[in-house]
Amino acid sequence: MRHIPINSTHALRGTVRRTLAAMLLVTTSTAAMAADQAPMTIVINQSPWFAGFQKVVELYQSETGNTVNLDVNPFAGSLEKQRHAVRTGESPYDVLIMNAGFFIEFYSGGFLEPLTNIEAGFKLSPDIYTFDDSVYWNAETKQIDAANGDLLSVPVNPFLPLLHYRADLYAEKGLNVPTTWDELYDNAKALHNPPAMYGISQRGQRGAFDVTFDVLPYVWSHGGAFFADQKGGDYTVTINSPETLAGMETYLKLAQDVGHPSTAGQTQTNVIQNMATGQAAHIQGVPAPALFDDPANSIVVGKVNYAPTPGTAEYPSSPPLGHWLAGVPKNIPDDRKAAALAFLTWFQTDEAQRAYAEAGSPPVSRAVLTSDLADKPEFRYMKALADSIPNARLTFVIPEASQVLAITELRLNQAISGELPLKEALNTAATEIAKVMTDSGYTAPVLPPLE
Amino acid sequence: MHSDSLISTITRHTVLALSALIVIFPFLWIVAAGFKTQIDLLLGKFLFVPTWRNFESVLFNSGSDFLRNFANSVIVASTSMVLVLVVATLAAYSLYRLRWPSWVLHSLLAWSLVFHMVPPITLAGAWFTMFRSIGMDNTLSGIILAHTTLNLPMALWMMGVFIRDVPTELVDAASMDGARTPQVLRHVVLPIVRPGLAATGILSFIFSWNEFPVVLTLAQRQTATVPIGIGKYAQDNTVAFTEMAAASTLSMLPAFLLLLIAQRFIVRGLTSGAVK
Amino acid sequence: MKNDTFWRYTTLMPAVLLFVALTVVPMVNLFVLSFHHVEWIERIAIWKSVGWSNYTAAFEDNLFRAGAFNTVVFAVVAVTVQMVLGFILALLTIGVTRGRTFYRTVFLLPILVPGIIIGAIWKLMYSYDFGVINKTAIFLGMSPQDWLGNPNLALASVIVVDIWHWTPFCFLLLLAALESLPQDIYEAARIDGSSPWQALRFITLPLMLPAIIVTFVFRMILALKVFDEVYLLTGGGPGTSTEVVSFTIYRRFFTEDRPGYGAAISIITFAAVAILIFVAGRISRRRKAS
Repeated sequence: MRHIPINSTHALRGTVRRTLAAMLLVTTSTAAMAADQAPMTIVINQSPWFAGFQKVVELYQSETGNTVNLDVNPFAGSLEKQRHAVRTGESPYDVLIMNAGFFIEFYSGGFLEPLTNIEAGFKLSPDIYTFDDSVYWNAETKQIDAANGDLLSVPVNPFLPLLHYRADLYAEKGLNVPTTWDELYDNAKALHNPPAMYGISQRGQRGAFDVTFDVLPYVWSHGGAFFADQKGGDYTVTINSPETLAGMETYLKLAQDVGHPSTAGQTQTNVIQNMATGQAAHIQGVPAPALFDDPANSIVVGKVNYAPTPGTAEYPSSPPLGHWLAGVPKNIPDDRKAAALAFLTWFQTDEAQRAYAEAGSPPVSRAVLTSDLADKPEFRYMKALADSIPNARLTFVIPEASQVLAITELRLNQAISGELPLKEALNTAATEIAKVMTDSGYTAPVLPPLE
Repeated sequence: MHSDSLISTITRHTVLALSALIVIFPFLWIVAAGFKTQIDLLLGKFLFVPTWRNFESVLFNSGSDFLRNFANSVIVASTSMVLVLVVATLAAYSLYRLRWPSWVLHSLLAWSLVFHMVPPITLAGAWFTMFRSIGMDNTLSGIILAHTTLNLPMALWMMGVFIRDVPTELVDAASMDGARTPQVLRHVVLPIVRPGLAATGILSFIFSWNEFPVVLTLAQRQTATVPIGIGKYAQDNTVAFTEMAAASTLSMLPAFLLLLIAQRFIVRGLTSGAVK
Repeated sequence: MKNDTFWRYTTLMPAVLLFVALTVVPMVNLFVLSFHHVEWIERIAIWKSVGWSNYTAAFEDNLFRAGAFNTVVFAVVAVTVQMVLGFILALLTIGVTRGRTFYRTVFLLPILVPGIIIGAIWKLMYSYDFGVINKTAIFLGMSPQDWLGNPNLALASVIVVDIWHWTPFCFLLLLAALESLPQDIYEAARIDGSSPWQALRFITLPLMLPAIIVTFVFRMILALKVFDEVYLLTGGGPGTSTEVVSFTIYRRFFTEDRPGYGAAISIITFAAVAILIFVAGRISRRRKAS
């Protein structure tokens, strides 16, 4: 029997299941034709959106007959794996799924093939968001550059923090969805009743990109930042500016008055658990609907709703991007580059994006995010997401991101745990960041220390 | 020291039983967690409706490679165990019974001890680059070699203890009778150090089975071992505890079987080796 | 005796080859790397020589310093407690014959579990809101503690996990050693009228010393390399309160991708360990001599 290789590396397992699936495909899909592309491998890490991505890849395989292997890795170590791959003679991977915090190093190291070099006419579909132009890179100026840059990647996931709130409790107490931090504070206060219910559960633990990601919506919407203007080339360190301080003060005020008693020890996992077990009225998290609408994972099924992260009177909602991009490494043969591009072309289609959304992963297509799907209760995150994307910004556009993050993760966490006074933590972070930047050859002046 | 009073007997059994309970509790808890839904686990329910979902997802979900990870772990742990036993026994015999100058003995032992104390992660990157350059990256052989090297210092040390138990006169007598080194090893040394081989072998098997950071660096999907498979359930945003528990339960089975069968042997070998 | 020489080399060769290829060569590479800064431009690695600056930077690195300090505290405290607890348990239970097989099997269980699983289980058990430990505390009328989030408690909590993990192992080894002690000495001591405490102090402890040292060293080596458990439990936080050396190296070397600097702190760790072993060896030799 001729059947389509769903995944050639699955030889050991699920024979029955596979045979059934294959029979089904042969009988139902007239598109079950011979593969016209070389087999390819995508390296990806285990994420809440992986299951949906896997389904889309299976759909692609059954429609085209092409073989796509998914090399799924633990989140720990997947960045290192991608680095190893692009730096050796021939990369074992044909598509890299890169995280928003760290993709710049692949851009600036020259590891990715501009997609138009593989096929001159290749374009990003106008329906696909560019996420603060993060897909374009100018190799000469070493900057994100939509006007003159090369197209280096295709977005595959739109993660950014959304405010999650308990819609049922809002209705009960007659609360309105907050647009400013002050409103959020009032709502959280109205619902705060520890330990049964925390007004808000924040993610203050030190990790790779944990507490930093959690505070950025606060910092940016108070006019603060870590650098003056990364995209414009002004690397003045502003982590100890009065505006950043104001953002952090708002964060700490929520944590202390209406927050979790262990904010400094909370990871994203803890925060999600708080919401899933009905112990948090608000959390800030990426849209992963399966977490709260699956009765196996949650006791608040259908009760969580989503909104853009709040802002202030002066600044709108300012979420940081935590999205994922797919790039094609330079060090693979041409036929595999072509196969990778064929997949990325297909992935942008409306059909693929819709299937992706229906499989439980937020899509990256504006058309699908604003389609009729958004009105269905199970896709209620879509509106908040579509409203957030225009304001969402890149966190780092320098390859030194991981070194700066090591500093911010530590110092911000210390400020939250009370190990360091806030101002001292920010001043220390500023000095340390300036040193990293200066050592790497940037001009990075510091502001006068906060007193 | 051996008072036979009833009270002391009761005290002893109580202490033992309590300690055993403390040790065993997390295990029961993992096994139970494997049969729970995530929300039952988070709510800490003692009474729950058991579900096979986690085991199904670990074993049969198309994104899970658990069975292959398991097979890889069996291959890596057993092959590296055999290799490390052969290499360490030969080397220990050579060092302690074949009259090497003492600087050879001491520098080799010192180096192996120092290497043993350094976190393996320091060399993992170098190993990846080396293996990649000779086409041995993403092969089980590469991981086997790495694990053999990692466990060699411990094996050398333990086998050294046992080899030193082999009476020199016995070796000399055999040599006088015209036996060559391989024969001496087979007929004189091996029978004496057998408990040592068992203990060393089981420890290297377990350490290889559990090793995480080096495999994380060296392996890809086709060559990943069980700890990597388990590590996958710790995602970037949440941890799938129940599936992790199911995978853990399954992954402990072989070691547990080994323990049931060879428990007596392990303790005797371990203690006679380490406690001299 | 030509045969002898041949076999002498042949038997030692595999071990030497493995060590040279997989530890000495990478270590030399690491050493060279530690004087460089590596950057990637257009897919090519540019090695810039930076002299000793990676080393001087290491001494100002607050993570590395905290990591070194915590690792030593972790190893010394955890291993000491394990030894003491294991020894007390062994003293209490020597002579128990009923259920021996069962207890041995149970006490060997923890070393079979990958550290990453142990980290995950204990993280849930320590959880502030739904951990079994805080739930028990509340049930007993005590206030819940923030075991992993409180900078003053986090390292202790991590140490407790290690104690759970390895005390049974120490106990088994020490029990076996205790059982192998000659019983007639105790008879003689009792006839001489010495108290059980004196017997412990002047007979048991000195006779047990070699076993204690071996178990201690074995555990110490593993404790200094701690990585997996901390990885899932705390990730080094809060602040730097549970940062350990292998974690700092992993982060600096790989996550931050600074191979030159990572190599330098690896070499420093390596040198510190080597010196420690050298000094310990000297002391033990001098004691043997005297």
